[in-house]
Amino acid sequence: MSVSLGVQEQAAILTDYVVDWKDRGGKVLAYTCVSMPIEIIEAAGLLPYRLKALGHPDTYLADGELSPLNCSFCRSCLQLGMDGTYNFLDGIIESNGCDHMRVMFENWRRVNEPGFFHYLKVPHFFGEDSLEYFEGELELLKEAICEHFSVEVSDADLTAAMERQQEVRRMFRELCSLRRRERPAVNGSEVLALTINGSSMRSEDFLEVLSGVVEEREGAPGETPRARLMLCGAATDEVKWFEEIERMGGLIVADAQCFGARAFCQDYDTGGDPLRVLAESYLANLFCPRMYTEYDKRRDFILQTARRANVEGVIVLYNKFCDLHGVDAVLLRRDLAEEGIPVLILEKEYSARADIGRVKTRIQAFMERIGGGA
Amino acid sequence: MIPTPVLREGDNAFERTLNILDMIYKFPDHISDEEVEGVANYVNPDIRNTVLGLFEIGSARDLEVLFVKKVIDILREAQRAKAEGKKVVFVPFTFPPEIIFAFENLFPVCTEVIAGLAVNVLAGQGERFWDFAMGIGLPDSLCTANTMTVGSFLMGPGLKPDAIVSNSPGSCNPNAKIHAFAADYLGIPQFILEKPVDDSERGRELYHKYLCDLIKNLEEFAGEELSEQRLREVVLKSSRAADLYNEFWELRKARPCPVHNIFNANILFLRSQLWGRDEAIELLGKMVDISKERLRTGEYTAPKEIARVYVSYIFALFDLHGFFPWMEKRGISILGDILAIHFFPPVDTSSKESMLRWLSEVTFDYPMTRQMGASEISLKWLEDISFAVKDLGADCCVYIGHHACKHTAGSLSFLRRELMKQTKVPTLTLVGDSFDKRHTPMSIIQEEIELFVDKVVSKRKGPKRRKKASTPG
Repeated sequence: MSVSLGVQEQAAILTDYVVDWKDRGGKVLAYTCVSMPIEIIEAAGLLPYRLKALGHPDTYLADGELSPLNCSFCRSCLQLGMDGTYNFLDGIIESNGCDHMRVMFENWRRVNEPGFFHYLKVPHFFGEDSLEYFEGELELLKEAICEHFSVEVSDADLTAAMERQQEVRRMFRELCSLRRRERPAVNGSEVLALTINGSSMRSEDFLEVLSGVVEEREGAPGETPRARLMLCGAATDEVKWFEEIERMGGLIVADAQCFGARAFCQDYDTGGDPLRVLAESYLANLFCPRMYTEYDKRRDFILQTARRANVEGVIVLYNKFCDLHGVDAVLLRRDLAEEGIPVLILEKEYSARADIGRVKTRIQAFMERIGGGA
Repeated sequence: MIPTPVLREGDNAFERTLNILDMIYKFPDHISDEEVEGVANYVNPDIRNTVLGLFEIGSARDLEVLFVKKVIDILREAQRAKAEGKKVVFVPFTFPPEIIFAFENLFPVCTEVIAGLAVNVLAGQGERFWDFAMGIGLPDSLCTANTMTVGSFLMGPGLKPDAIVSNSPGSCNPNAKIHAFAADYLGIPQFILEKPVDDSERGRELYHKYLCDLIKNLEEFAGEELSEQRLREVVLKSSRAADLYNEFWELRKARPCPVHNIFNANILFLRSQLWGRDEAIELLGKMVDISKERLRTGEYTAPKEIARVYVSYIFALFDLHGFFPWMEKRGISILGDILAIHFFPPVDTSSKESMLRWLSEVTFDYPMTRQMGASEISLKWLEDISFAVKDLGADCCVYIGHHACKHTAGSLSFLRRELMKQTKVPTLTLVGDSFDKRHTPMSIIQEEIELFVDKVVSKRKGPKRRKKASTPG
């Protein structure tokens, strides 16, 4: 499958893949955050679907419930929940990613209650008690799914789903290695488009797409970019932003994005109690600023990724009113600068095309600073 | 001997406010109207509203003089504690300070109290501390209270915290982040107490474990084991203050409300900084006595009580005079805000474990933590405000939006609608900030409240006009 054809054209809320799945009687269960072990959804024979807004610009319905002080990504998602775009979902799993997300779901449910709703409560730090609690949460989630969808999920089902996900992660790392090359064979916008699309697919099918892309691009000569960039930050499913950055000559050779590499950080051996393994792996590898005592871990992860990809600069991109990323960005800028990596912090409005001119100017200036200017 | 105030440019909010407040130590216990006016004219215009806010209303004045002296005492005590080698621990106003007071070697200082003092006592109202924080790149959507405090400590010399306790994780993103940032920037430890967004027994049990872990960490940090006897003393004082608080709540139900509006601000300070100590009991007792006496004599500041307001979030605290006495003089009684909704369970002091259980219950249901850290923010917020409105007989609500509080901003439409359905009480929504007047000046807040009371609240309270029959023929 060609990356440009196979991925970007399908980057839609309701993809052909989802339509086909539904036509064949499949159920779709949505989730919002990388803290959600999608293996449980897969083991139940359902399609895990990550909620997204894909730069949807309208928020007129959502604005009646949320406020202009709430992040526009959440307002866009709520809009799609309220206007019926998401009516194809058979259920939603909420997790307490951030304050915006929490109130977004409360409003969503009042206006358009999904057929199935479950609140997965994710602790904000990794510790013995929080891990035990999270494992209990996963057990409750599994039970709720089984009861509502009248399915059984055995340990063997979970283990099989976990093995498939591990394969997906392995292949994603292969893809990232192509992006890290001196002459990258795949760019950042393509990888983002792929991962967004993959977040609406079953693992076996996404694995096939990923393998196809890796096979197709493995022998590609690639081009030497003017600047090697890394993108960090919040939930960004706007491929166009990545494209704009890359159109200016900077190539995103690595990322620590919520819709990107951060969604593939979990790693485990499939031996042992599956829910325990999942709880431990997801909670320990949640490189999100919502984890309050773990800034050092996030910084090290970003530094390691940046060094491995030999990046010349890091762009931290987040939506206005996102305090989680906004505060982390200040520390990151300080710490990465100490390591000799320049950082550009870009606070932006989600889906606001009017913002693009301002942002482009700042990126151009940053590229000049790091020596990648035209 | 009272030290002469020395104001240095680099001093932080703590020292500067303390030096300025020391002036009030020179006040006699009773001061006249003329003396209040004289002081108000003497001080910096930014502080004038604080002087008038505290001392303008005669029957509250003696209490307010005593109150400010107790504020000075506790701040001086924090300084002394630090000088004597105790560790100063910053806590937010959603954390019971009595837990820290129970330690011999620790001393709590509430971050919002420092911001509140800076805003009300310093020329420039602490804005430069906020501006400094913005200057280092922090986002402008953070909480002004905590960010101002952090800004002040990053800016200059003075009393520095030795650690930060944050119980905001789980209930408030901006504060949890700014606490973590401050700890990192100052290179001091941070101890967290996460609020699980889970109101079930399972959530409460986890919270209790977290609290016990916090205590263990504090014990290690303080170099002492939490003494059962000391804990008992603090818990008993805390419980006594809770009894007085409950009495206070009952007094608010009377019409007209015998409780001075400014007492709401006093209580906020007492709960945040002095709970678990004798001073809180003494001041609360005096406030209860004053209110009881007013109830007995029927004394009310205005000719008539025209509105009973419940503030569904937090007060505007940057202009004490413009908010509290201004409304009181117009017959608008302020019955409380979200931080006034306390649920104190009965205390069991039989063992250390029973007292820790009690503290864990108190902290779990602490105002703001309870609502914003709930399984469903909007439902818990509605439940509590609706209870307060009905219990105290409020006839309107005012929400003054705080740009950092994304959860209330995103739940307000629901709250306003449902409050109207459940209690028939209308809500005035104002964009503003508790600590930074630059968001919305007090003149605009007053104008909106006056219009709301005149055009909406008073009319609803008046006799219903019968519709005239149309003329026959």
